[in-house]
Amino acid sequence: MTAVTFDRAFSRTTSAPSRPRARRRVAQARSLDSRMMTDTTPNEALQTEADELAERRRLFEEQALPFMDQLYGAAMRMTRNPADASDLVQETFVKAFAAFAQFEQGTNLKAWLYRILTNTFINVYRKKQRDPYQGTIDEMEDWQFGGAESATSSSSRSAEAEAIDRMPASAVKDALQAIPEDFRLAVYFADVEGFAYQEIADIMKTPVGTVMSRLHRGRRLLRELLADYARERGMTAAVAATTTKGSSR
Amino acid sequence: MTDCGCTKAQEELEEFLHNELSAAQCQDIRDHLANCDDCSAEHLVGVTLTTKVKEACQEKAPDELRDMILGSLQKVDAAS
Repeated sequence: MTAVTFDRAFSRTTSAPSRPRARRRVAQARSLDSRMMTDTTPNEALQTEADELAERRRLFEEQALPFMDQLYGAAMRMTRNPADASDLVQETFVKAFAAFAQFEQGTNLKAWLYRILTNTFINVYRKKQRDPYQGTIDEMEDWQFGGAESATSSSSRSAEAEAIDRMPASAVKDALQAIPEDFRLAVYFADVEGFAYQEIADIMKTPVGTVMSRLHRGRRLLRELLADYARERGMTAAVAATTTKGSSR
Repeated sequence: MTDCGCTKAQEELEEFLHNELSAAQCQDIRDHLANCDDCSAEHLVGVTLTTKVKEACQEKAPDELRDMILGSLQKVDAAS
């Protein structure tokens, strides 16, 4: 993965704050001045530059690399395979490092990294594996997703919670993989990463209302898929027994 | 007691779950959940779903990825 230069789409996300960079520069220059207390010769200036680069890399490695596993997890849900996920994460770190001077220290680094990851994914990988739903999914009406609220009584809901709880991780991942991508990402960002709706809106470049709708629909689809899975495996024997009382089936 | 009722609770359960409501709104939902078996069972499904998805999605990056990243960062530095 060699994409070091910015593509236009990427710079869109990070173009906003240019002032902090200047502020950082000034702060760095001041601290260097006070350390050296002399005018710098060209050699010293080169040395200073090298020191600054080394320091920047050290800071980046210390602050950003701990998010590697998390970003990889998200990349796995995006690309669906380990090789592409590794490439995507690597590319994300390279882009993030190249733009690190524009990152404002003290703001949310994790959200910033996820923005870059998501952007890179959309611009590079999504083109390869174009999803037929893409672009129209948000305009679909609720009824088009079928399967209205299935369980109605509190006892069947308790049984549903129990069945979900006993579900193997592979079934949950399969179900997540089966829902439309924008829904999947919204669910991932909210439920796995715990991002606030506004942060998800920033990452996905969409209004908060759209985030809420994607999240709601995504979770509902997920729930239906898991209910199907449980039914097929006979995990809902208890549910069937408790719901026959109230259901017309 | 400011129980908000089933309709409002059902509308806001997801935001409640994701910690998107104000303290006062949260209290209304909590008051309602304490009195309503249906809505608290619904909330339990929501909580369980979140927990399960979170657990299922924990991944560990391949061991070599870290070195690959460090290597490419070095190249970025060398190029600048």
